[in-house]
Amino acid sequence: MTTVTVLRSEWTKFTTLRSQWFTPLLSVLLSVGLTLAVHLAYGDIDPSLTEDPTIGIYYGFNFGQVPLACFGVLLLGQEYNSGTVRSSLTAVPRRGLLYGGKLLLGTGVGLLVGLAGTAGSLLAVDDVIGVDFGAPGMVRSVVVGVLYCPLLVLFCLGVTAMLRNLTAAMGLLAPMVFLGTVMLAAIPGVRAVAQFLPDRAGQYAFRLETDPNIWFGHWTGLLIMAAWAALALYGGWRSLSRKDV
Amino acid sequence: MIQVQGLSKSYGETHAVDGLSFEVRPSQVTGFLGPNGAGKTTTMRMILGLDRPTAGQALIDGTPYAELTDPLRRVGALLDAHAVHGGRTARAHLLCLSRSNGIPDRRVDEVLTQVGLGEVARKRVKGFSLGMRQRLGVAAALLGDPPVLMLDEPVNGLDPEGIRWIRTLLRGLAAEGRAVLVSSHLMSEMALTADHLVVIGRGRLLADASTADFIAEHGRPRLRVRAVDPVKLADLLRSSELTAEPAEGGAWDVHGATGEEFARLAADHRVVLYEIAAQQDSLEEAFMRMTADSVEYRAVAA
Repeated sequence: MTTVTVLRSEWTKFTTLRSQWFTPLLSVLLSVGLTLAVHLAYGDIDPSLTEDPTIGIYYGFNFGQVPLACFGVLLLGQEYNSGTVRSSLTAVPRRGLLYGGKLLLGTGVGLLVGLAGTAGSLLAVDDVIGVDFGAPGMVRSVVVGVLYCPLLVLFCLGVTAMLRNLTAAMGLLAPMVFLGTVMLAAIPGVRAVAQFLPDRAGQYAFRLETDPNIWFGHWTGLLIMAAWAALALYGGWRSLSRKDV
Repeated sequence: MIQVQGLSKSYGETHAVDGLSFEVRPSQVTGFLGPNGAGKTTTMRMILGLDRPTAGQALIDGTPYAELTDPLRRVGALLDAHAVHGGRTARAHLLCLSRSNGIPDRRVDEVLTQVGLGEVARKRVKGFSLGMRQRLGVAAALLGDPPVLMLDEPVNGLDPEGIRWIRTLLRGLAAEGRAVLVSSHLMSEMALTADHLVVIGRGRLLADASTADFIAEHGRPRLRVRAVDPVKLADLLRSSELTAEPAEGGAWDVHGATGEEFARLAADHRVVLYEIAAQQDSLEEAFMRMTADSVEYRAVAA
């Protein structure tokens, strides 16, 4: 029982369950496919796509991040819901080792999704309307596009470890990450708070332009997202390391 | 060998397990008995480190389970046959476990064949019957060829063939020198399988003895007597100081006398007996009597 054998076991869990390998794949398909589709349809007529090209490049990711977050929840949520967390902990009773294995797998798969989704979207946009890779902030935007994905997976993994329940984690994360924040950001008073939510702060780091309504810089946005992920992972660890399963 | 030392688990005011100590020794099947809710499963979960004890400890050959290097090679456990993700195949489920402990993949195919699931190894568990899931759980327990095995209610919900299979398997594992702990609330099943019994009720140890000793101690001896004239026999029993209960067909179960004593008494009163047999309470009765005070939920007679 070492980090290597535990990672092999986690990789086996990942590849032998359809819902686990399919969700990251779907995430890449949605990110690249919808970005390509929107540029094919409106690329030459919609000026907003050229004003801040990152809005177009990451258009598909608005949808692609949903299955990716689901993947983060499923990693541990499926173990809690099926009861396999008990056989997993019987095989790997050092809870830190099991949690670390999940964390590494989630990071790795998240990075792959980030790389494939960002590269694919860039190539798609470049092919249709062209991308100015030298534009100020473009390199940052691409780096953030890759890093956002593992951070999102880790955030969802941590929240699920805290709640120890797949359905509860989905119920909390769906409105918090995807649906609610856009609407919250539309209410002037709430916007000041909403900008600090993980997906708002993280996605601001994608943008080339500076939004005067947002209190922090682009890189800080990614750091805020990372802080959320770290906080969730810590909370998840406290729950996993202390509670009976 | 499993050593349970002063193990306790409390949930607030409720003491699920209360100062439990016993050992599970190699080369024998130890039956872990108690009514539902007695604390058997909680004890097993604490042995595996899934639940934290409030006090005391459980050791595997002197080491807490959580500190074992490759625990599946030391202890094989079947706790809940349903704790399998239905979307995985039987083989994939076992690979997820075996690879974490560095057990070679071919061992997975070996144990699947051993439990009779070789044909369905690549089928999703979703379609498995309870009996098949139970066999898969046993396969998981056997993966690391461990010297200690622990099974929680393995015969629950099995058909007679499945029950006989488990019984033969457990006897075989003990014969190979392994320490086997198997919990059950069915005394009769344990009478056939276990060499040693650990009986608990309300989380406390009620008995820790060999099956034979347990019966000798707790099975009350009695005489089954039958007379040519049942009325005369009834009169005799009423006038004697013996306690007796009527049994089927005019027979009586008599306590407090040996066969010789009772034969002499009958002869003195000219009661002609045609049956007099020494009997022992069944293990089931001994168990019921012993745990009667410790049953947590009991149906109240109307």
